Amino acid sequence: MNRRLATALIVLAVAGRSPGAGPDPTLPRRLAMVEDQLAREGIADPRVLKAMREVPRHLFVPEEHRARAYEPYPLPIGEGQTISQPYVVGFMTEILRLEPGHKVLEVGTGSGYQAAVASRLARDVYTVEIFESLAGSARERLARLGYANAHVRQGDGYFGWKEEAPFDAVIVTCAGGHLPPPLLDQLKPGGRMVMPVGGPFMTQNLVLVEKDRQGRLSQRNVLPVMFVRLLGH
Amino acid sequence: MAMSPPTDPAARPPAGREGPPYARVRGVLPAVCLVSAAAMANEVLLIRLLSLRFWPHFVPLIVSQAMLGFGAAGVALALLRGPLARAPRAALAWTAVAAAPSFDLAFRASQRVPLDPFLLLWEPSAWPAFALFFALLAVPFLLAGAAAGLPLAFSLGPPGRVYGASFLGSAAGAVLSTAALALLPTESLLRLPSALGILAALPLILDPPGPAGRLRPARAAALAAAALLLLAPAPGLVLSPYKDLSVLSRLPGAEVLARRSGTHGDYRALAAAGIHQAPGLSLAFRGRIPPQAVILADGEAAGVVPAAGGRAPDYLAFLPSAMPYRLLAGGASVLQLGLRGTEGVMGAAAGGAASVTVVDPSRELRALVERDLAGFSGGWPAGVRVEIRAEAPRAFLARESRRFDLVELADVSSATFASLGVHAAGESFLLTREGVRAALDRAGARGLLSFTGWLKAPPRESVKMLRTVRAALEGEGLGAAERVIVIRGWGTFAAVARRAPFGEVELGPARRFCEEMGFALVWPPGAAGDPAAGDPAGGRSPQSRATQGDERDLAEAVADALAGSGRRGGRLFDLEPTGDDSPYFHRFLRPGALPEFRRALGRAWVPFVEWGVAFLLLSLPVSLAVAAGALILPAFARREGRTRIRALGYFAALGLAYMLLEITFLKAGMLHLGAAAAAAAAMGGFTCFSGLGSALSHRLASDRALRRACAAAAGLGLLGLLLLQAGAGWVLGLPFAARLGLFLASLAPAAVAMGVPFPAGLSRLGGEPAAVARALAVNGLFSVAGATLASVGALWLGFRLTAAAGAVLYLAAAVLAPREASGA
Repeated sequence: MNRRLATALIVLAVAGRSPGAGPDPTLPRRLAMVEDQLAREGIADPRVLKAMREVPRHLFVPEEHRARAYEPYPLPIGEGQTISQPYVVGFMTEILRLEPGHKVLEVGTGSGYQAAVASRLARDVYTVEIFESLAGSARERLARLGYANAHVRQGDGYFGWKEEAPFDAVIVTCAGGHLPPPLLDQLKPGGRMVMPVGGPFMTQNLVLVEKDRQGRLSQRNVLPVMFVRLLGH
Repeated sequence: MAMSPPTDPAARPPAGREGPPYARVRGVLPAVCLVSAAAMANEVLLIRLLSLRFWPHFVPLIVSQAMLGFGAAGVALALLRGPLARAPRAALAWTAVAAAPSFDLAFRASQRVPLDPFLLLWEPSAWPAFALFFALLAVPFLLAGAAAGLPLAFSLGPPGRVYGASFLGSAAGAVLSTAALALLPTESLLRLPSALGILAALPLILDPPGPAGRLRPARAAALAAAALLLLAPAPGLVLSPYKDLSVLSRLPGAEVLARRSGTHGDYRALAAAGIHQAPGLSLAFRGRIPPQAVILADGEAAGVVPAAGGRAPDYLAFLPSAMPYRLLAGGASVLQLGLRGTEGVMGAAAGGAASVTVVDPSRELRALVERDLAGFSGGWPAGVRVEIRAEAPRAFLARESRRFDLVELADVSSATFASLGVHAAGESFLLTREGVRAALDRAGARGLLSFTGWLKAPPRESVKMLRTVRAALEGEGLGAAERVIVIRGWGTFAAVARRAPFGEVELGPARRFCEEMGFALVWPPGAAGDPAAGDPAGGRSPQSRATQGDERDLAEAVADALAGSGRRGGRLFDLEPTGDDSPYFHRFLRPGALPEFRRALGRAWVPFVEWGVAFLLLSLPVSLAVAAGALILPAFARREGRTRIRALGYFAALGLAYMLLEITFLKAGMLHLGAAAAAAAAMGGFTCFSGLGSALSHRLASDRALRRACAAAAGLGLLGLLLLQAGAGWVLGLPFAARLGLFLASLAPAAVAMGVPFPAGLSRLGGEPAAVARALAVNGLFSVAGATLASVGALWLGFRLTAAAGAVLYLAAAVLAPREASGA
């Protein structure tokens, strides 16, 4: 089966199942994004790839940047915040190893795109956004697009979402200077937490924290595959 | 620069050769003086305003805008000579009246342009907005340039005095703008050029100016309207949404606790929910971080003030930056280069220091931290003697004779938006071989030099800093391998260096510190010992740390930087040690490596672009396109007359050469004077002394004299810069006034010579307006390009070679100089 035929079949398969179903002219671009920017760059989990094929990224991007929603760039979403480039979203999602029964905490809702992707893979996603305007628009967007298992709260994500703790996975989408102790406390034994290192637009490596069954923490820096190619030069 | 060459009204034949008679119009000299002062003040003050709105890399852009405006003024005066000649006094009056409000209005209008510099790389629709922004801010320079040029172009006053008024005004503008920075709130800075513009136009509302003149109601009404702007509220600054101040201000409960501004910057302390700064905090920390205020310098995070009730908060001992204190006995003396809120001093107190000397040039920052925030912070911790010196760090290091147990450099990299290479084109004279050597001098033989920063993949800042330290040590015949310790946390690194080799006495505590914190000892190799066996954090501390690609890579990169060939990573990034001749520590981009990035990463190479450099390069075609539209098109649209290519080459060379030398002096002078004072001194000094040269140009009538003037500009420009650099070690130890005097003395001879060739060349064009317009247009275009190219040259060639390129261009101008009476 050649690539064109395979793409056509995926288009047909995905077309009727996206939230807000109906003909989606952006679908070919989204499929190309997944193929070129994720699968080819080492994102291998078929569930993650499927989720990213299904979530209409362009609807999480401000109108004026929609034409570039499927480009490999971060894009401004207001309040000085950005939506991560697709590869980073895919990589962070994959590294969490989400299961259908998982409860996920996300810190830094932004436009809600990461929460939407995670919600396709986990039971519930609890996402906290400090900027009221972003939290409000993300809540409305996620509800409108049918991501009913993604719950948005406005607040300081540093302190997590204590009422819903513990979580199987914690994903911090905004880069920070340190791993917040409250988030580590809210991570379930056996859970994983991922957080980017560095400033916006420059996510290059991530820190992965694992809590074993005894509640002991280990940390390691993980480097997205695409950047590994630059090492050794 | 500014007012002299491009607007150089020596577009008119020099006095004494054509013969006046000029009309002695009262009020002209004050008008020229004040409007020149307004233009210079506008140029200097825009640096601060755009640094706050965006980032400091707008400096060359502002110079380009000024050159565009002045160049356009010259072209307009030449092309409209006929119509203007019918009523030159009225033209002067109306130009001055229009210039007065333009400083304020153009800035307000520019704030309405939806400019996002970060979109320039991948969003073509951002380019027209940038072009509009660029053109708008050039308008005041056009009007001021025209107002200053009209009296010379139409003999409204004695040329020598008009020249004198112009360069006196420019110098006054530089001085007044420095005073304004110290006295006015940042938002109100443009009140100064507006007020100067109004004063300039005031005598011209009478026709003729003077007691016997008749009031011109239209002019008076227009000027009164301009004066009303002084009473209007100052425009609130529209910041880039990515500035730290912008982001933090939107946080819930954000409150500016205090603010001060002065010659060194705009400083604010802001507290809000969501501020939790603890770079690289160990997982072993189990406590709570107290509320914090962030110190913002020109809108960028520059330090933290914890609300700690005058006690050192516990978390500070859990940061990688606490490592050096583990190597010291208690009661150490500490020197911190840069005031980072109170966190630096608190960290020293937590580490058991007895005294801390903090060196920072900004008095306003000191006042903000010590006085304004005393209630929030609880003051300095008891038991530590704190001394804050308001000096530039390099000047302090040159002058101070005390030795310290620990010398701390500021963080060498950032995790804020600046991490995207915003400061790649910014000068850091502390992070150079010479800076490190000076810091090591204050640490003596056994004292420590420490620095910290964020890790990147592939490693950059960490490696470049270590290579710079190695170069400084090897310059003294000392090997770096046994004199450096490097550790890493999960996102940051910390390193110490000293002149005496490290032994187990130091390695033992460093190892234990890493074990307790879950950090890794990266250098020396094999010194890490067994991983932590205990679990001091009661189940919280890291028990394992799988070595992943970037950890291995950091270890290999550090090994190569300290003991290897030092070539690793050099193909993609510039990791060469930095020096005072090209003090761009934060520039890593190798333009030649971009194809490799694209090959390796496809279009996802954006994080490696370095915005400071990208903006510089992207602004060049935009500014040139605007300049071509404003200068070249109108000047070359007219068919009459002809201008020889040779003559155009002459004016092009002058435009480019002038900028290369001026901007290079400005940048090199930052070491001696600091950024703000160097900008004012270089801009004011070049304008003033070149104005003097222009005024004297008619005395150098012969072809030979003109060629000699060009050669003198080349020789004196290069010589002045070399002397400035060679004498830095001695000059830095002198008081500020002496440093300022020596800086001006180094540029003055060259600047005088550089003022001669332009008007002398114009006078050889036979007074033909079209030819003069073309010469002005070409000169203006290359001046616009020169401001950016000088910065590009400084980044990749260094100051000496950039100045040498300017000198070569002056020599080329000597060859291309139009002959007397040959016409164009």
